[in-house]
Amino acid sequence: MSVLPPDLDAAGFAAFLDDLRAVVGPDWVWSGDEDMHAYRDSFSPVWNTEQERHASAAVAPADVEQVSAIVRVARRHRVPLFPISTGKNFGYGGPSPNVNGSVVIDLKRMNRVLEVNEARAFALVEPGVSYFDLYREIEERGLKLMVDCPDPGWGSPVGNSLDRGVGYTMPHYRDHFGAHCGMEVVLPDGEVMRTGMGAMPGAQTWQEYPYGFGPDPSGLFAQGNFGIVTKMGFRLLPLPEYYRTCLITVPKRRDFVKLVEHVNYLNDSGLISEVEYGSPLRAKMADPQFMALITKVGGVSDAELDAAAEAAGLPCWQVELQFLGPERATWENWLHAKERILADISGAQAIEGEHFALPASQQQLDHPQQPWTSAIKRKRSLGVPSLGEWKIVRDDGHIGFFPVLPRTGEAVFEMQRVLGDAMKEFPTLPPFFNALTTPLMWHTHTFQMVFAPSIRHDDPAHNAISHAAMKKCVEVAAEHGWGDYRAAPIYQDAVADTYSFNNHALRRFHEQLKDAIDPDGIIAPGRGGIWPRRFRA
Amino acid sequence: MIRRDMLKWGALASALAGAPAAALARAGAGLDVLLLDTRFGEGAAVDMGAARVLTFAGDVTRIWYDHLDRAWRQPGFVVGGITGADALFVLETLAQQQGRKVVARNVLAAVDGIAPVSWVIAPVHPSVLA
Repeated sequence: MSVLPPDLDAAGFAAFLDDLRAVVGPDWVWSGDEDMHAYRDSFSPVWNTEQERHASAAVAPADVEQVSAIVRVARRHRVPLFPISTGKNFGYGGPSPNVNGSVVIDLKRMNRVLEVNEARAFALVEPGVSYFDLYREIEERGLKLMVDCPDPGWGSPVGNSLDRGVGYTMPHYRDHFGAHCGMEVVLPDGEVMRTGMGAMPGAQTWQEYPYGFGPDPSGLFAQGNFGIVTKMGFRLLPLPEYYRTCLITVPKRRDFVKLVEHVNYLNDSGLISEVEYGSPLRAKMADPQFMALITKVGGVSDAELDAAAEAAGLPCWQVELQFLGPERATWENWLHAKERILADISGAQAIEGEHFALPASQQQLDHPQQPWTSAIKRKRSLGVPSLGEWKIVRDDGHIGFFPVLPRTGEAVFEMQRVLGDAMKEFPTLPPFFNALTTPLMWHTHTFQMVFAPSIRHDDPAHNAISHAAMKKCVEVAAEHGWGDYRAAPIYQDAVADTYSFNNHALRRFHEQLKDAIDPDGIIAPGRGGIWPRRFRA
Repeated sequence: MIRRDMLKWGALASALAGAPAAALARAGAGLDVLLLDTRFGEGAAVDMGAARVLTFAGDVTRIWYDHLDRAWRQPGFVVGGITGADALFVLETLAQQQGRKVVARNVLAAVDGIAPVSWVIAPVHPSVLA
């Protein structure tokens, strides 16, 4: 489906493309349906409908000078640019823009790992570098560093961090934006700016002290549209010597509250890596009577779930703990966790799992041998990027709503009930929120739950249900103080609308900034729900 | 990409399009490597002529990381495969980033809810044409 940029006719578009070719060469500008297929959001819930967002063209610069020149060309022609690093955050929009007719600025050619410093544990990369690229650099040089990567790992550290993506190792590395340190940005007028210590010529600590002096604007470039990030630094975890896994189970529904408190303590004290909560009772979900219980309107009571657990001979909850560090430290941390939890929760049990020295062998990565059914994905837990996640993607993909909630058992029970009841309106979708739904501990200090209905390219009716359910989830969650942390362009306005304190003061502040530096909306208008004056009108 | 190559790869995909076991014996010529997704049957024993055969079971990580990522950084290199649609989605997306496209594909009958596809990925961008 060919589209034109806003306010531009075919002749103007052709002139604009000619100017782009003059910057990057004729081989690095694309337009037309066949070439632009790669820039569609393959996971779009509005695939092949009038609502689907399409880019008009794509351009791939080789360096920051070309990025700057492209921005100046776009400014002259008033054409919105939509920057992508590798464009693979499917489920969150992939490479497709907020505004129809935007031109994708594809940073894939800027794929240099500029520095990896083992002794000081940081990396500086360009946006086209993928987690695989960074991992390969570290592996081939034999550096004792660990990359905290998302799953799948084909995205870029720059893009994932700027979308506030998450990982699966130690708490402060899982927050990928939080683990960044220093960035270089092309501003909407084409100027090149560096944040933090990078603003000082000759500074030697750009990737070690994030703030420099004065206000730190780096947060504006995450989920924002105030510039195009062309370099970014990251803190890396020194490769731990040892990896240890263990399982704790607790018998009763209400035990989850105490279990969460203990795990929070372990997490916040830096004693554990990511954890996987679960329920052994999931083994009963093929039983229709049991399914009716855990999906009943108004939620399940403690007594009801405890009775079902007792009848099944299973505990209500489990948590898989992972430890990284020196071997003795992982052992002592595990003993501490076990003693602390078993002393406080009656009937809690502990099981020791696999443990081995790092780096792991291919066999250890590919074939975990746990004495329980484990939800841990071994590679991502050890900072090894993988594409295996795609084996679990059914239909043609999925969309995702990940509400942020407090790290308490009570909050988990409330979300199970509230969103479970709200989603009864969509009976053809799986019951993502039920009495066994456990939280994700991807963020450092909050929980998330997951709602990820599938989409099918050949079934618009199914997609419409998923789309409606997503919007309902955002709305109902916000009524209870649970906000989405990340969204595809098609949902960004709805999500931004829920962050409405004091008559949308935050959005109005963002709009003032946008109007001041990018009134024509050259950089990703609409991203993060921030629209410049030109598009608000 | 020139028309002669398109015709060649189209014919190759046709050769790959039948039942996997029968197709394999005719598929070797013109490919640098053939990928077989063992979820749809084992093909290791088949003589593939000049083409190297790499097998995997749904997860393309190792094959892509160890072989394709390196090969796709250089000009040339034609890859064929009989894989799940899920694996092809991953490979196609990665190939696009390195100037390559699926130039032929045939969807086969689904096995356990996953449709195997026979396909050819070839360089199309001037920067990677041989």
